Amino acid sequence: MATLAIVVVTGLYGGYVGAVAVPAASGLLGHAMGIVGFTMMLMTETLYSLRKRAMRRPRGSMRAWLQFHIFTGIVGSWLVVVHSAWAFNGLAGWLTLMTVVVVASGFIGRYIYTAVPRTADGVLIEAQDLMVELEAVRRGVSDASRVDGAVAPAAARSREQAAERRLHDLERQVATLRRARRLLATWHAIHVPLGMALFVMAFAHIGAAVFYATLLR
Amino acid sequence: MSKPLGCMTFAGLAAAFVVALAVLAVAAATGNGIFSPGQLSGVTHGGPLGGVVSHADLGARCDACHPALLSSERMGDRCLTCHAPVLQEIEARGGLHGRLLVTTANCRDCHTDHRGVTASLTLAEPRLFPHEQTGFSLAAHTVVGRGASVGCRDCHPGAPASYAASTCATCHQSLDAPFMTQHQAAFGSDCRACHDGVETYGKAYAHATYPLAEGHARVACIACHRGSSTLASLVATPTACVGCHAAKDIHEGRLGTQCGTCHSTSGWARTTIDHDRTRFPLVGKHVSVQCEACHVAQRWTGIGTTCRSCHAAADPHAGKFAGDCGACHTANGWSGATFDHATLAASSTCVTCHAKPASHAGAIANTCASCHGTTAWKPATFALPHKFPINHGRASGSCAACHPSTWAAYSCAQCHSASSMATRHRRLTNFTQTTCVACHPTGRGD
Repeated sequence: MATLAIVVVTGLYGGYVGAVAVPAASGLLGHAMGIVGFTMMLMTETLYSLRKRAMRRPRGSMRAWLQFHIFTGIVGSWLVVVHSAWAFNGLAGWLTLMTVVVVASGFIGRYIYTAVPRTADGVLIEAQDLMVELEAVRRGVSDASRVDGAVAPAAARSREQAAERRLHDLERQVATLRRARRLLATWHAIHVPLGMALFVMAFAHIGAAVFYATLLR
Repeated sequence: MSKPLGCMTFAGLAAAFVVALAVLAVAAATGNGIFSPGQLSGVTHGGPLGGVVSHADLGARCDACHPALLSSERMGDRCLTCHAPVLQEIEARGGLHGRLLVTTANCRDCHTDHRGVTASLTLAEPRLFPHEQTGFSLAAHTVVGRGASVGCRDCHPGAPASYAASTCATCHQSLDAPFMTQHQAAFGSDCRACHDGVETYGKAYAHATYPLAEGHARVACIACHRGSSTLASLVATPTACVGCHAAKDIHEGRLGTQCGTCHSTSGWARTTIDHDRTRFPLVGKHVSVQCEACHVAQRWTGIGTTCRSCHAAADPHAGKFAGDCGACHTANGWSGATFDHATLAASSTCVTCHAKPASHAGAIANTCASCHGTTAWKPATFALPHKFPINHGRASGSCAACHPSTWAAYSCAQCHSASSMATRHRRLTNFTQTTCVACHPTGRGD
């Protein structure tokens, strides 16, 4: 959906550029793209986050809100970029650059996020659960060694090997989870300040535009 | 909902605070130049105004053009503070800005800045410029010949306020050279004398005040508007048919000025003729004949109005009568003619024209009028001396009862049987059937 919207927006924009000219950021079309784009970016920032926290009175599925979050994040930021009319002056230029940086950061975060193991319900597998399961298997291996003489050697060896394979898998999962969560935390620590900086700059840009281009006409 | 948004972390809030401070600091350091959407124009137009020769020289002095937030000034006030010549034009209601009714509220409709060092301060978008206030609307000039949006310099290659009279012709000549050549030859080169940009007066002009139908749609403008070189004179072009067609009126004005009574714009030849309005009203048998019987080869005029114009070749009199046929005949048919014998020369006699019939040969002299009138040969009244009782027996006025071949001879045998007469006269010598009257001069049996 987002790809389709990007293609449509780019096609219409390209058509307008070919037929008329690059729409000025201060023109009707340029302003419209900037306002719609920024509104979508604001929705990206807030709506999915609010939904994640509205567990008591949920509205809509998490999957739907995530799709909307991705859609507005990609399409909104692209509209903001074309709003720039490819001129990067002063604060507005820095703001455009910051938009590109934050969106790129968002893409990186999205791939880190998907690297974290998830259950079918989408809930992170807690390391504690893995540790409990690991302990149970270790006990199983120990038990197999104790009763080695009472059971057939081949069967005991088979159980032990299966338990060791399982143990190895779980240890690897724990390591992966720890690594991914560490990475996710690092990314989050960078992405959130970048996003906040972006919005502070955006509001400053909007305030200046309203002041200079509207109030002072 | 008790948990704050994900962005409300310490690092996020700190970043927001730091960036806000940074923006304020840089804004202060650059005189709000950080908010500039682009470089000011370095284009110069003559000498210095307000101490600078271009906006670029203003540098970071934003307040030169932008009033403070709570100021009652508008940006236009700041414009006119430096651009005194423009202010003078506005106050004098003259010049380009005076005619355009520029105020401090609409400088920005045409002018802007922050578009780069080399960018013009004037917006090259005619749709934003109230060009109709100059007396020439751009309603019909949204694109130039090559299809691109029209720009100021397409018509004003020099200064925006300058205009060369040849500008229109130069461009339109490239669009339709034959038309423009003819058009200029007819109406001159001062295009704006007629054209105000709203009406094209060309192929797309509706010509609503005088709809151009059929034949009129095919003629060149000049055919009706020759010599019209102003809008007023174009509008004043006469709309009556005779306004243009009087000089070629084949009726030479005889049929009046209401051409539309018979003709339509489909062509002069396609007419609905009221022949009674012509010099030859159709009466009698002329009503029912085909038009082409008289108007051979669609020759509608100049065919004459006399009978001989059409009937000369079929004259049974072989040209004996020089006068018009109408002296004797009517349009109701050749027969039933009346002939006024009084028109004949005094020396004329009946036999000059009329051959004596065979029945009269040897019996009647050329004294036709004794028995006949001039109206017709029949009926005739026999008024000459007759030796024998004229209504003998069953004759009852029939000459042929006794004169079966010629009046110079008679025969009694038509009533009196030849064999019966021969029997009754057998005792007579020298009896013949042809000399009855010699013995019976009164027709009696004595």
